[in-house]
Amino acid sequence: MKKIKYILILLSGIFAINSCDTKDLELTNPNALSPETFFKTEAQVQSAVNAAYANLQTRGLYGRHIFFALDNMSQENKGNPQLEGNKRPFLDFSFDASSDIIQFYWETCFLGISKANFVLDNEAKIKELPTSVLSDVNKNKFLGEAHFLRAYYYFLLVNRFGDLPIYTKQTIEGNARSPKADVYKLISDDFDFASKNLLAISVEQKGRATKEAALAYLGKVQLYLKKYDEALVTLNKVTGFSLETNFYNNFMDETEHGPESIFEIEYDEKIGVGDKWGSDISGTGAAEATFRGQEYGNLGWYNVYPSSNLLDEYEVGDKRFGDTFYVPGSKYNNGNSTMTAANFGSSEGNRRAGWKKYQNYYKRTDENQDSSINFKVMRYSDVLLMKAECENQRPSGVQTVAIAYIKEVRDRAGLLTVIAPTKDAVFKAIIHERKVELAGEQVRFDDIMRWGNAATEIPGSGFKVGKSELWPIPNRETSSNPNIKGNNPNW
Amino acid sequence: MIMKLKFAIIALVMICTHDVMAQSKTIQGVVTDAAGVPLPGAGVNILGSKNSASTDFDGKYFLKDVKTTDKITFSFVGTVSQTITVGNQTSINVKLVESTQSLNEVVVVAYGTQKRAKVTGAISVVGAKEIASVPIINAESALQGRAAGVTVINGAPGSSPTVSIRGLSTMGNSSPLYVIDGVLTGNLSGLSPNDIETISVLKDASTTALYGSKAFNGVIIVTTKKGKKGAGVLTFNTYLGSQSVSKRFDVMNTQQYLQYAKDLGSDLTARAATFGNTNTNWQDQIFQTGLMQDYNLSFSNGTDTSSSRYSAEYLKQEGSIINTGYERYSFRANNEQTIGKFTMGSNIGVSFNKTNPERSAGGRTLLEHAIKMAPYLPIYNADNLGGYQGPSAADGQDAENPVRVQNLGNQVINGLSIIGNIYGEFELYKGLKLRSQVSLDYYTRKDHTFVPSFRDGSAHSQGYSTTNEVNQFGQTTVFDNSLSYKTTIAEHHNIEAIGVVSKISGKGQSINASSRYYISNEIDQLRLQDANLSSNTYEENNLGYIARINYDYDEKYLVAVSGRRDASSRFGANNRWGNFYSVALGWNIAKESFMKNSIFSTLKLRASNGTTGNDRIDNYRYSASLAANYIYPIAGAAAAGVTLGDAPNPDLKWESKNDRNIGLDFGILDEKFTGAIEYFNNKSSDILFAVPLPASVGSVGGNQIVNIADVKTKGFELSLGYNDREGDFTWSATANLGTSKNEVVSLAPGITSVLAGPVPRAGLENFSRLEVGQPLFYFYGLQTNGIYKNQAEVDAVFGAGQTAIKPGDIRFVDRDNNKVINSADKTNIGNPYPDFTYGLNLTAGYKNFDFNCFITGVQGNDIFNAPLFDLQGMQRLFNASTDVIGRSIVANGVVTNPSATLPRALGANQNWASASDRYVEDGSYTRLKNITVGYTLSGNSYNKYFSKMRLYLSAQNLITLTKYSGLDPEVARADGNANSAGIDLGRYPQPKSVIFGLDVTF
Repeated sequence: MKKIKYILILLSGIFAINSCDTKDLELTNPNALSPETFFKTEAQVQSAVNAAYANLQTRGLYGRHIFFALDNMSQENKGNPQLEGNKRPFLDFSFDASSDIIQFYWETCFLGISKANFVLDNEAKIKELPTSVLSDVNKNKFLGEAHFLRAYYYFLLVNRFGDLPIYTKQTIEGNARSPKADVYKLISDDFDFASKNLLAISVEQKGRATKEAALAYLGKVQLYLKKYDEALVTLNKVTGFSLETNFYNNFMDETEHGPESIFEIEYDEKIGVGDKWGSDISGTGAAEATFRGQEYGNLGWYNVYPSSNLLDEYEVGDKRFGDTFYVPGSKYNNGNSTMTAANFGSSEGNRRAGWKKYQNYYKRTDENQDSSINFKVMRYSDVLLMKAECENQRPSGVQTVAIAYIKEVRDRAGLLTVIAPTKDAVFKAIIHERKVELAGEQVRFDDIMRWGNAATEIPGSGFKVGKSELWPIPNRETSSNPNIKGNNPNW
Repeated sequence: MIMKLKFAIIALVMICTHDVMAQSKTIQGVVTDAAGVPLPGAGVNILGSKNSASTDFDGKYFLKDVKTTDKITFSFVGTVSQTITVGNQTSINVKLVESTQSLNEVVVVAYGTQKRAKVTGAISVVGAKEIASVPIINAESALQGRAAGVTVINGAPGSSPTVSIRGLSTMGNSSPLYVIDGVLTGNLSGLSPNDIETISVLKDASTTALYGSKAFNGVIIVTTKKGKKGAGVLTFNTYLGSQSVSKRFDVMNTQQYLQYAKDLGSDLTARAATFGNTNTNWQDQIFQTGLMQDYNLSFSNGTDTSSSRYSAEYLKQEGSIINTGYERYSFRANNEQTIGKFTMGSNIGVSFNKTNPERSAGGRTLLEHAIKMAPYLPIYNADNLGGYQGPSAADGQDAENPVRVQNLGNQVINGLSIIGNIYGEFELYKGLKLRSQVSLDYYTRKDHTFVPSFRDGSAHSQGYSTTNEVNQFGQTTVFDNSLSYKTTIAEHHNIEAIGVVSKISGKGQSINASSRYYISNEIDQLRLQDANLSSNTYEENNLGYIARINYDYDEKYLVAVSGRRDASSRFGANNRWGNFYSVALGWNIAKESFMKNSIFSTLKLRASNGTTGNDRIDNYRYSASLAANYIYPIAGAAAAGVTLGDAPNPDLKWESKNDRNIGLDFGILDEKFTGAIEYFNNKSSDILFAVPLPASVGSVGGNQIVNIADVKTKGFELSLGYNDREGDFTWSATANLGTSKNEVVSLAPGITSVLAGPVPRAGLENFSRLEVGQPLFYFYGLQTNGIYKNQAEVDAVFGAGQTAIKPGDIRFVDRDNNKVINSADKTNIGNPYPDFTYGLNLTAGYKNFDFNCFITGVQGNDIFNAPLFDLQGMQRLFNASTDVIGRSIVANGVVTNPSATLPRALGANQNWASASDRYVEDGSYTRLKNITVGYTLSGNSYNKYFSKMRLYLSAQNLITLTKYSGLDPEVARADGNANSAGIDLGRYPQPKSVIFGLDVTF
């Protein structure tokens, strides 16, 4: 009996060791912060804002695919045989809803929107912080950045897809598409909020959205909506900028954030490039370089080259030609090397030039997969040309005023400005000027779409009126969101 | 030795002539196997008495005080025991025949052992003898073709094979649970096959339910060799061999490639001439003949109260791809001591391994680069930094030199694993035992990659060296306490019961670091220059309460009931605990009196029903957390970003599976002919899957883990065995056949279908789909129907005016006839699962020769051949299959070679970007997996050197019959993840190998 007692005690002791610790089953993730305790310091609020920027530099956007997709569709590019199969269809509009490039564009923009919404969903928490932790000015500025970025991503999306599901807070339920007009309303309201709450470019850190950037984009949106008077009022508020004397300063690494720069997509390989082959969409990790240099470089992968459609647009004596393109005889590598005809692939005779804008050859002999050159997505010359367009188009516009804006841009290019002061002539001059000034900067296709002149601007490209204006909603979305029915016209 | 024998014979004769006067006498003799080779350590016992002996080195035994009425039982592991009545004999020599499936064989089951005759569930057993018959690198390979319903597919050297039991019934990780001497682990990579005594494969819930939430995919229990009673035995095994991949894709040579490039718009003639029109066969450059060598030494020893076994192994395997290989040192010590009612022991294995893996670059595999490289480029160019030649802008393509990718710099993965346990067992009362066991599974893995600066052309260069370190460790401890009771009531009622409390705790950490060095290539260590750093850790805990009762009446009627209550920290408080149970019944018909004179030596019917669970999802997915790894350059510095992480699901619960199994075992003519038929019908419920969320909601992970689907899996398994002997000739054949069909029964509300699976090549789309009524992850894509030959054919489908589709493009089937080819036209284009799998194993022995031949295969599965995309896709200029020379050629809007089966080059996007039946092929194959011939030397003339030596020659994967055009139909099925079933990504193909080996017992 004694023995059994002893055994029972022993047993219960052993089994107790095993079973008492049920609290071990309740674990929290040691690698991650908890949302409940976040938004308590300025650094935390700022980090939530920072995350929303990261999607700008993914391969889905400026890291790799967007410049191909847009420069190809606008026929500024021609493709070499090595151009990858997923990028080639953008030259002749033969892509479809299975395109990974369209999918990545869609996904990365919506990820950026969701991150902006993470900040905005917590507006109450941010507002509650004592001013000793976060000043009112900065509270508003952080909210302003979130509004700016949400509008920026939606603007990229609405130009490609038209009607869109609208998300103003984070959710996992997919929404149905709202009419384009509602999307534009959200974009305008967001840029408007941003323009009233962001810091001025003179005091804000380089790389962040500013009051001026918000105004410039608000003006652009109003122009796209053909609200010319409103747009002009908005664009006139974009002040404190001037054109670079040297046009090429806009496209080098060392001269970023110059007097002409209003908003840039930032790259800096020194910060890290270890995740550049990671996700196409997430913005996770260090992917602080763009593939643009290697992809377009005529000494690099040379996937595309400037089309005759574009090259022929330049007037004789336009100084921008030599800053935008390399041709045989061009100097590169700090003036130490010279391009030869063989550098352009002489076999066909139609590769007259290679891209120079956004290339690193000015200081190097080679491109590699890492380029640190920022994309100057909003330059003051664009603002000037938009102002010219608004002035020309608005009911009480004065053509000579519009011509003066154009002249400012042309003067730098070393060109005379002789434009008849008629609405039609000025419009034609604007079409030309935007094409050569902003070549290879992913603005031309949007311009052609809003002008509706694809038939004359990109003839013979495969562009199909009534279809090619918009991309199809990608399969990735339609297969996972039951609320999206059908697709864009004729897709 | 000859003297010894003479003496023995004289003694024998003397004993024989001596009149049998005495009541008790001495018996002696030799115990050998069927081939006459002495069996050391065989048991010689007098039934119902404590009088026993075991054989010595030479298989000899000596037993005193034997009565003429005594019955002596001779037994040896893996053989059929014999019982002989002594009678007048004084010398009894016994040949023990190898057993295919002995009734008295003891089978290792969950938390214990069971006599084969009492087993009621579906278990396959592979013994040491079978494992030793064929040289294998990893322990998992021992199961290949030997256990019905089990598939094993090997990958690159050093990688763990993909093992699956009874097909697919989950959507995530489908590999089984491994248990080595009671230690739960994920694979067998640190274990030398020579150290394995038996492997039990538990296939149904009545055998696996005791492992509860971890047993979903079946359980493989490995028992390592222990010291055997008797004098010490020293064995030495070694083999040497070589392996190579002989199959190549037929790609264009320089002349063909130049013409193809010209057709595509690039005249590269002058460029090729600058390299002297070299013709490099890039595939030949990445494959090699690899040498293999293995040395294994073991010593075992045992007494009545203790046993021990020590072993050491060195294995070196060069891969069949250049600069790949695997090296392993493993050590094992198993000890057990018994003092009265107390037994204590430990089994500990330690292994060091070093792997040189296949490397990849630019998101492409080595093989993909080898296919795509321009053939006129040389491998080396001394003028280039680093010494290699790759493409430049002038070459119009950007494949990477695969030799440079694999050979420049190095990648080495060094690993250490320790797996072991210490246990104590105390008999509290007759039949009542208390057992405690502490187990540890620990590993470290250090992955070091160094690439010096290089420039092999303008397309690929690196102006600095890079160093990458990934250091990981993980540990799992298991603390089991069990109480078991075994008794027989009224002679007929046998009862066994066990209760266990098991606690499993795991944790680990991973540290990633990388940096660049611009100054030199001589330092391959981290520097604080462009450095990146991150780490990650996890912890998980499980708690289980386990019980089982086995009852039988005279081994005739069998009942087994078991249950487990389990908790996992991977689930939220709402659904943390799960209950798993099983019931099994068995009827040994052959033991019934009416069967007494039948031919059946075994006839057993058994049925089982039970549940198991699955908790294999990422940790912490039930709770919301923040994702913090975002960076954006602000003012020249990294601005860190944080946002809401993966979508949580607080309602996550166990995946559970109900297994129903019916089996019939039979043995005819004293087990000469044996077999088993099994039928299983399983239903998995609440299968966990990361369901893609709508992309537009912008959730960081893009998915949410949901208990999404119910899936049925059912099938048959048939095993047959036959063994016979005629004089010196013995032979046996075993064959097995397995079928497994799965079907999605239901999906979670609101989900009608899910498109998942990998995107096998950039630009292609994914195509593995879930849908009710279809198999898991069947292929979903467009059907093709020839090529458009002219504009009229195109316009007939799409109407006039469109330019995207032209003559020479593929005619996809417009299933909804709406003149648009889009996702609405997709349908079932392939099923990744075979109709059946099979294995045939033949062994034969004649005198000292032995022979083994083993054939395995699958029938009726489809493979998505991703390398075909590289070979025939023609989406841009790369080298490709010679088939593309015969592609559709278009002149003036008409295809000039209408018999062409391939579309035009650089054609419509859909030609290559759409998942279509263009890339789907029949994956059936039959493979001569192994053929081995051996010769054993034993007997007097060698006794002063060794007691037994076997020499053998073995060849693996010698012949493969298949219509599949990829390099290896078997590798296509190698992926632990269910949603990439049947997708051939162009990974490491299975090599052919030839091996010469030597097994010596001293």
